[in-house]
Amino acid sequence: MSQRYAYYPGCSLEASAVEYDLSTKSVLRALGVELEEIPDWSCCGASAGHAVSKALALALPARDLARAETGGADVVAPCPACYKNLRYVRESLEEEAGRAKVERLLEGTGLSLSGKVQVKHLLEVLATDIGAERIAEAVQVPLEGLKVVTYYGCYISRPGSMRSFDDPVEPVTMDVLCRAAGAAVLPFTRKVRCCGAPVMMSSPGEMHRLSYEILNEAKQRGADAVVVACPLCHHSLDAAQPEIEKHHGKLEMPVLYITQVLGLALGLHPWDELGLDRNVVSTLGIVKRFSKVECPSK
Amino acid sequence: MKTLAQEVIEAGGGESIKACYQCGTCTGGCPTAGEMDYTPRQIIRMVNLGMRDRVLTSNSIWLCASCYQCQVRCPRGVRITDIMAALRSIAIRDGITPARPRAPAFYQSFLENISTYGRQFEPMLILKTVVRSREGIGEKLGFLLGMLPMGITLMRSRKMPLKAERVQGIEEVRRLFSNAEKLEAEG
Repeated sequence: MSQRYAYYPGCSLEASAVEYDLSTKSVLRALGVELEEIPDWSCCGASAGHAVSKALALALPARDLARAETGGADVVAPCPACYKNLRYVRESLEEEAGRAKVERLLEGTGLSLSGKVQVKHLLEVLATDIGAERIAEAVQVPLEGLKVVTYYGCYISRPGSMRSFDDPVEPVTMDVLCRAAGAAVLPFTRKVRCCGAPVMMSSPGEMHRLSYEILNEAKQRGADAVVVACPLCHHSLDAAQPEIEKHHGKLEMPVLYITQVLGLALGLHPWDELGLDRNVVSTLGIVKRFSKVECPSK
Repeated sequence: MKTLAQEVIEAGGGESIKACYQCGTCTGGCPTAGEMDYTPRQIIRMVNLGMRDRVLTSNSIWLCASCYQCQVRCPRGVRITDIMAALRSIAIRDGITPARPRAPAFYQSFLENISTYGRQFEPMLILKTVVRSREGIGEKLGFLLGMLPMGITLMRSRKMPLKAERVQGIEEVRRLFSNAEKLEAEG
């Protein structure tokens, strides 16, 4: 049976998280899942919608969900912030008052929302719809000896009031997926401790301190990499790592998207299909261990 | 006249704010409480006591990282993260001089970008934020200089688009903004 989803990449995946976009598409293709990008999607409003206007926080993702409904397939979003906002509008449709509000917000756009499609995070699609067993069967290169910690951040299973595929305090989906790929998952106390991305503007030093604590614990535990499923977490831990090192000392901790980990195990091309050359902290050491591809001298 | 607690409830903070019994679980789990003028527990109490100015001019509401740790753990079901968001929206609406001016400038620039392009465009977002932020020229330059290495890092990894793309349905997106404004005005 072929699985099909409407794909909502979101703004980050077109800019600072291009390797997340690339590796998501490659891994899902390899697992026989079809993605169709939502036509002419627009920004979900991220946290700015909520900060400025409750109505706008509902209106912006409503347009995207309405455009997805025309295709009929459930929506998959790799970015947890987009996912949270899309779910916010999806769940508001379950009450009469919410439906009426959304209808008024879409007035004059020619769009409408019935609530016939569901919104899923990429991890949910991987762990629940596809399942660790099917992924384990597709593994070509088991990541034996690779020690990772999994870092979930805040929005994958929060706020807890929303129904979720994972636990808001002790999430496990990425652990299961990494094990299916053959990697060892180390214990980690900061799985859901905020990386500080949202305070980048108000207090960059606070953001660096929070990200440092996460990276430092990973290092203390002897991890080869931190595995994430959020473009903002990745930005704080990977792109900002040179800056963090200026204040807190050397870390040199690779930060991989879950799809890059799975892709390596599926035997996909590390640069062309997984974008492992786009991560800021070098991933070359890991690539060399598990890929037969000739490595450039980066 | 409305109490601050009523305003917060109307802005999406939830009725449960009245149920707070000041246990401090929120503060205990907060990643940024150490930097705040008032801890999350104190903010909730101050809202319930109607201490409007002190709450809305505190740095606490801008240092909240919206991580939901407090909200997930609260034994009374108080939606602390949603309350912080409600306080930020009230502060922006009322034009209150913020303790951390860059944060509201960022949110407003973020939305302005959406109404211009339909999507986010990071280089313009940073520039607009700095221009709009109500802070001294020294602080503005200091922040831009601080961001520079990150910009260079992203460009070297080919992760910084230098051209904005506009969605085709930009008129639809702009209609959403005017519809939202109309709905907010009705209360």
